[in-house]
Amino acid sequence: MRLDPLSIPYRIAENSARIGGAIVIAGVAGSGGSGGNILQGAAIFLGIAAIGVALVAGWEIAYHRRFRYELTADTFDIESGVFSRRDREIPYRRIQNVDIRQNVVQRLLGIAEVRLETAGGGQTEAQLKYVNREEAGRLQEEVARRKRVDEPGAGDREDEPPAETLYAITPRELGILGVVSMDLRLVPLVLVALSVFGPAAITSVLPEIDQWFVIGPLVGVGTIIGLAILSGVISMLQYYDFQLRSHGDEYRYERGLLQRYSGSIPVEKVQTLSIRENVLARWLGYASLSIETAGYAPGQGSGARSQSAIPIAERDRVVELARSIEPFDDVTFERPPQRARERYAVRYLLVALVVIAGAYAVTLLPDVSGPWYLSALLLPIVPVAAHLKWRHRGYYLGEEYAITRNGFWSRRITVVPSYRVQTVLSSRTIFQRRRRLASVVVDTAGSSSLMGDDAVAADIDAERAERLREAVADRLQEAIGQRETLD
Amino acid sequence: MTTDGDRQNAGSDPDSMDSETRPDGAERHPGTEDDPAVSGPEEGDGKSLTEARTPDGRVRWKWGLRVAIVAAVLGVITGAISVFGLEWGVLPGVGAFVLALVVGVVHALLLYRTWEYQVREDALYLERGVFTHVKTVVPFVRVQHIDTSRDPIDRLLGLSSLVVYTAGSRGADVTIPGLTPTDAEDLQDRLKMLAKESTGDDAV
Repeated sequence: MRLDPLSIPYRIAENSARIGGAIVIAGVAGSGGSGGNILQGAAIFLGIAAIGVALVAGWEIAYHRRFRYELTADTFDIESGVFSRRDREIPYRRIQNVDIRQNVVQRLLGIAEVRLETAGGGQTEAQLKYVNREEAGRLQEEVARRKRVDEPGAGDREDEPPAETLYAITPRELGILGVVSMDLRLVPLVLVALSVFGPAAITSVLPEIDQWFVIGPLVGVGTIIGLAILSGVISMLQYYDFQLRSHGDEYRYERGLLQRYSGSIPVEKVQTLSIRENVLARWLGYASLSIETAGYAPGQGSGARSQSAIPIAERDRVVELARSIEPFDDVTFERPPQRARERYAVRYLLVALVVIAGAYAVTLLPDVSGPWYLSALLLPIVPVAAHLKWRHRGYYLGEEYAITRNGFWSRRITVVPSYRVQTVLSSRTIFQRRRRLASVVVDTAGSSSLMGDDAVAADIDAERAERLREAVADRLQEAIGQRETLD
Repeated sequence: MTTDGDRQNAGSDPDSMDSETRPDGAERHPGTEDDPAVSGPEEGDGKSLTEARTPDGRVRWKWGLRVAIVAAVLGVITGAISVFGLEWGVLPGVGAFVLALVVGVVHALLLYRTWEYQVREDALYLERGVFTHVKTVVPFVRVQHIDTSRDPIDRLLGLSSLVVYTAGSRGADVTIPGLTPTDAEDLQDRLKMLAKESTGDDAV
């Protein structure tokens, strides 16, 4: 089968725009040789641009003619390439996700991009650019169906259960999502940039200004508010009309206003679940759920951000949905011992002292004076911060799950099924050894650990860490034993 | 999930729930965990196939040589800056070399003292680290493949290393350094066999 014919004009436009810069440079250079005659120059420029576009068009037509894909009995075959040919046969078994994405223009044309993701390597295995929207849906459907047939002992499940909508975002939830996902991580960067370039920029607009104590904070606060609103709006656009459906052995999601994404999460490849709630969401009683699958987190295509299976919902509902995926019991988190809290207090105290010393050191410079002692206001925050950090940490080891909790600003609860454990390690830094503390890391094949989001039972008692490490490893063996007796 | 209690000693203590399968947990006396030689699960839990082993002593030479190379590079750079840039003579370069060498060698010796590995019934167990002491359990079911590797210094000293790969993102490559080539191959074969025995249809 071939790509959609409409993909030709779209790809021509897309790739001409991509190499537009080169075309313009070549055109300008060419028209430069016209000896100052404007009409002649413009003609040469247009001519070169037309040749450029024509080359792209020729290429794209050839690409379309030479691109074929086919669904065979047990592989997805793709033949592609204009000059160097590439034939691929991807076994259905290996295909983990079939993602569909559409931006606004593509939606108007009724075409969509299909991505086949396989385990291993964060890379997309194959892309179909672009097929008909219905065809994309059919491919997603067919791959899922054939994958099931392909699996041993699955023939009896032909009659698949009807798709069931597990979650659809409501306008209210979308609004709350916009509020809680206001991202302030860029603020320090922006403030530094403002303090360097801001004064010059402001004087260039308003040269007569001298009220810096008013203008400075005003611009700073304005920028922060602007950033917060912008990041909120971006996530609202991303998760607009979000839907999660269970579909046989898969979960399917769809989302996005400007760019529409659709992807699938294979149930049997689920590695870990993460429930995230930042301060604001916690206060409002909301949370989000993300699912990590092996080697590839759904929707992680371009950005490094782990994206949610449920962007936002009331906490109870998130927990309920998480349990429908991995039926973990009620959890009682065990907090680290209180000496861990002392450790955080000491750590923050040192940071505060460095800041205060730095502020004082600045006032020693000539021409600088100021109330450096105001930075001592950091000191009363130290115990509070240490307590909050300590309070939000915890771990729980159940029969079939290891669950950890970390983070105050953005609290993350990670649910690791025993069966998914890859390695377990306990580590103790010098400072942890002084206080008889240790951290246990439960490693899985979920890709979020690439970003340091492992399940960590941090700063627990050293003795207990030893036992936890061994217990998690033992639970893995038990879980595997159980799976075998079930087979 | 919704309860958020603060039970310090009950419920989720792994030992209390697991007391039948791991009776040794309670016998571990407190205060031993600062000494890597006595801590850890090897004390008579009957699960290990081998005693805890340490890498071959020659690995200290390997690490020492590596440190010497790094120190030499550092010394040459410092020396060059000091001679041509600051015109302070060669002494700072020599000083940097000696300092880096001493620190590195002490670190290598300490690291050797902490290194320990053990083949257990169902997992490979490793311990190492000077500043951060890490103990890793790699279950055989999760082993994807096992390599032996020898770099030039290894060949010079007649050593070999074993690299164990899992699908996990953190412990993706666990290396046991300082094995003799025959030991490395024996261990590789043995781990391969154990990994094969402990089936698991999908390793992820």
